[in-house]
Amino acid sequence: MAEILLKEVKVIEEISAKFKIDGKVQRERRVWVTIDKDNLIALCNFVKELGFEHLSAISVTDWPQEGRFELTYHLWSYSEKILLTIKTKIDRANPIVDSVVPVWQENAQIHEREFHELFGVEFEGNEDLAPLFLEDWDGPPPFRKDFDWREYTRQKYYNKENEREQAYYD
Amino acid sequence: MNANRLTTIEQIAPITEEGTDYDFYFGPAHSGSGNFGVKLKIDGEKVVSARADPGYLHRGFEKLMEYRVPMQNAVLSDRVCVLEALNWNLVHAEAVDELTGVEVPQRARYIRVLMAELSRLQSHLIWYGAMSLGIGFDTGFKIAFGYRDYILDLFELITGGRVYPAGYICPGGVRRDLPDGSEDKIKRVLAQTEDVMQKMKDFDNAVFSSRTRGVGILRTEDAIRLGATGPVLRACGVEADVRRDDPYEIYNELDFSIPVREEGDAYARYLVMGKEMEESIGIIKQVLERIPEGKVREPQKITPPSRVKIPEGEVYVRNELARGEGCAYMRSVGGREPYRVKLRGPDLLHMIPVLEHLLKGAQIADIPTIYWSLNICPADMDR
Repeated sequence: MAEILLKEVKVIEEISAKFKIDGKVQRERRVWVTIDKDNLIALCNFVKELGFEHLSAISVTDWPQEGRFELTYHLWSYSEKILLTIKTKIDRANPIVDSVVPVWQENAQIHEREFHELFGVEFEGNEDLAPLFLEDWDGPPPFRKDFDWREYTRQKYYNKENEREQAYYD
Repeated sequence: MNANRLTTIEQIAPITEEGTDYDFYFGPAHSGSGNFGVKLKIDGEKVVSARADPGYLHRGFEKLMEYRVPMQNAVLSDRVCVLEALNWNLVHAEAVDELTGVEVPQRARYIRVLMAELSRLQSHLIWYGAMSLGIGFDTGFKIAFGYRDYILDLFELITGGRVYPAGYICPGGVRRDLPDGSEDKIKRVLAQTEDVMQKMKDFDNAVFSSRTRGVGILRTEDAIRLGATGPVLRACGVEADVRRDDPYEIYNELDFSIPVREEGDAYARYLVMGKEMEESIGIIKQVLERIPEGKVREPQKITPPSRVKIPEGEVYVRNELARGEGCAYMRSVGGREPYRVKLRGPDLLHMIPVLEHLLKGAQIADIPTIYWSLNICPADMDR
């Protein structure tokens, strides 16, 4: 098994020679590394040089008890054929992180714009964080775990006095 | 008469500095754009800049899935993209299977691939139809959609739904086995699909190629930078296909080639589409030859959802959809529902950065050609 995963282990070794990371090989072609947010951009530049030129997706996971947002960057290398995921955590009360637009450009730009809208994460250095999907939205970022969409819908769209809509308040 | 009261031509239509600039809206009314709009700045006949205007189909699937158990999410996952529901079924099912670590029966894996490739065929027929419509070739549109219906008949036979299979490809396998006689029917539909592909080749006349050749050229380095995947990337000379580079299900046992074109224009994308359909037919024939007997789901009995928990962990699965790379990031903390699901569809990038890039500098008459040559689907962009 270890022999088959040689190239995956090599990616972790190459990264950990330069950065302080927590890395693991999940299975064939899947590598996960965790880094603190201050070194994120330096690591991104480094792995892009290694061949991870396709930013497949960015994702945000909300951990309200911990008070953190977890950002995951899923990268694919066309030459090595490995999917590398970079994870980093940022403060939930002050969600500011450096933008990866200088590294992956327009591709990253659109993903960051999405998560600015859905989670309220500020990407410093991304110049266009205009609303993407939601029209005239004035509520809190809707994909956060503490956003109570039932309560929001009741207040915004239903009327307690209306006989037909009373069921929503039971 | 007072000469000062004479009206001059400057007073009626003052010549301003703005010249021939104007704003132009493509969409969002569903008149051939899907539920999606592009705001264009035009100078004369030429597009100066384009700004995508998404959001008309945002349904928040990622959030909805956090409140539902996997069997319910399997049904939801159909709706992510109208045009290739079964492929999205497969993406979701694979993410859950990898988290639970269930050993999917071999027969189910073959049926999954069979359905995914049939879905790719019908999606490519829509692509051909919509692209024909974009260049004003109505015959191609009608023929492609007519032949697509034969494949939908197969979906009805096997899954019960024509467009939405209602979670046919579910965690652990597929919902039920292929009905009796379906193999003959599939073969008959494949023969019909070969008919329509022959027609497509015959139609590849002066009209089709002259309207698409040299239109919407995407360079290789731009394609990678803008995040293009799938047939759009392969038409720019990059030989990348998730089915071979990152194999899932039984694709590593199957024999198929990856069509690549160097030109990067709309015509190259159309040629890649045609070749991919041939490859899909080849894959389906191999699957029908080799499909083993056995169970189609593990466990065979469906446990009440309240008792099933997803083990803690996180996975990222990648699939090759008809339009490009489709991925799902799923995080579980050991509950009944996933803690976080992120769906990555190919069209978020094809319809915003790639489209904006290609439309810049194009002629108004080429907008629909460029738009449809990217094989787009607003549903999986907005999610």
